[in-house]
Amino acid sequence: MSFRRIDIDAYDEDRVTEDELYADIEAGSNPQEIEAAVQSRGTEVRNLLQRGNERQALSLSLQDPPYGRNLDTAKSNNTQTVMDVLQRFRAADIGDVVKALSKDEQDVLMKYIYAGLAKPELFNPAVLLGWHEKLVEVAGPGSIVRVMTDRRTVV
Amino acid sequence: MPAPQVHQIGFSPITAHSFNGDRSEVILCQNTSDVQIYDTRNWTVKATLADHDKVVTSIDVAPNSNRIVTCSQDRNAYVWNYDGQQWKPTLVLLRINRAATYVRWSPNEDKFAVASGARVISICYFEEDNDWWVSKHLKKPIRSTVLSLDWHPNNVLLAAGSADTKARVFSAFIKGVDAKPQPTVWGDKLPFNTVCGEFANSAGGWVHSVAFSPSGDALAFTSHDSSVNIVYPVEGQSVVLNVNTSGLPFMTLFWPTEEQIVAAGHDCVPFLFSRKGDQWALDRSLDEGNKKATAGSSVFAKFKQMDLRGQDEDKDTNLNSVHQNTITELRPYSGQRGATTEFSTSGVDGKICIWHFS
Repeated sequence: MSFRRIDIDAYDEDRVTEDELYADIEAGSNPQEIEAAVQSRGTEVRNLLQRGNERQALSLSLQDPPYGRNLDTAKSNNTQTVMDVLQRFRAADIGDVVKALSKDEQDVLMKYIYAGLAKPELFNPAVLLGWHEKLVEVAGPGSIVRVMTDRRTVV
Repeated sequence: MPAPQVHQIGFSPITAHSFNGDRSEVILCQNTSDVQIYDTRNWTVKATLADHDKVVTSIDVAPNSNRIVTCSQDRNAYVWNYDGQQWKPTLVLLRINRAATYVRWSPNEDKFAVASGARVISICYFEEDNDWWVSKHLKKPIRSTVLSLDWHPNNVLLAAGSADTKARVFSAFIKGVDAKPQPTVWGDKLPFNTVCGEFANSAGGWVHSVAFSPSGDALAFTSHDSSVNIVYPVEGQSVVLNVNTSGLPFMTLFWPTEEQIVAAGHDCVPFLFSRKGDQWALDRSLDEGNKKATAGSSVFAKFKQMDLRGQDEDKDTNLNSVHQNTITELRPYSGQRGATTEFSTSGVDGKICIWHFS
């Protein structure tokens, strides 16, 4: 079966390149600016958390996530920010919090839940599975499908 | 809404189906290289068309000229003519090196389009001199497999949904076949391979199905992010309305009227989307289901279960829907374009259903 491992598309002159696939997502974005934005949002979110304003902190942390390639630091920083927020909620409140989010925020949250679950050594999976259960009740399998489909990934 | 008519054809997936003009026959493929023609009066096989040698991916019948076109993973398409005794195939020169995925006759039935994995759409028309079907390729700017097509009622414009996450509108104008088309909202100068629009939604996802509205002035497409998107072309900046749903992705859609869209797919149920003012929203499921909620388990029922099945719970694995697996294709069945009263569906569960729609 080794012939199946040969990437025949590599010999195609007109092949689709990664640059093309990401062209729309990365258009007009500047890695340094994105990193700075993620940093300042992180600080703002932590300030909100200190003041005990968890719900606002959650909404803010889910705004405008870094998308595209070569943004590893920005992406991991932003994941960290979202995870910090998620840990602050009591399990009993999660259902209401999720319902209050907009549809877009729910989809972004689902992306971060999967991003967190991919790194069990850093983030507590038990907390994330609690969020996942409640989020699927509200947003349905459609939001999971969108995590898998979307090329605008958060990891 | 009356219950749909259900016809269990077999237990293999039905990859494609198409009724003929007077609905006396249905032509379908059960995930094999054979195309079967069923008589709809008694649901028996009238004829089998066996010229393909890989799975047949799409079938379309021209309702007025009663010609069948089929295309397959073997990279061929055939046009089948009935000579009074049997169906005779004519080979079509597609000139593609990957599987053909989708085929549709144009409204005037003088040409058809074949989508393929070779990143081209072959527009095929009949050449009298050689007595065969030749093709011209729509090539640019398709970057991946084309999964679905739909013709505009003017016989020139063609919508295509592709795995490169874009839905596009092309001109498929063939000199000598088409008369110069009237200007439409999609553009007025339309030489072959003009790209009249390229649309995507934010989450992306390969586009499973495209459909022009009955008037042809709007386009709907559904992609693998469980969304239905409706495009209204405006000079410069077209409006794309996005309806994300909470269910699984849709595979197929069509417009029964100018204000409604029916979409179906992995959720095994057709859903109705309707327009309210400037917005589109998911209206309701068109499958009401047939199971009644179990009204408390009586002790008698429990012992009966244990006696019959050796289980103390009712382990019913049937879905509460007519189709028991993904719906592969939706087609209008009766009513004028723009006023559909019935539509048909085929599924991976081997069923063909006819739904009343009002």
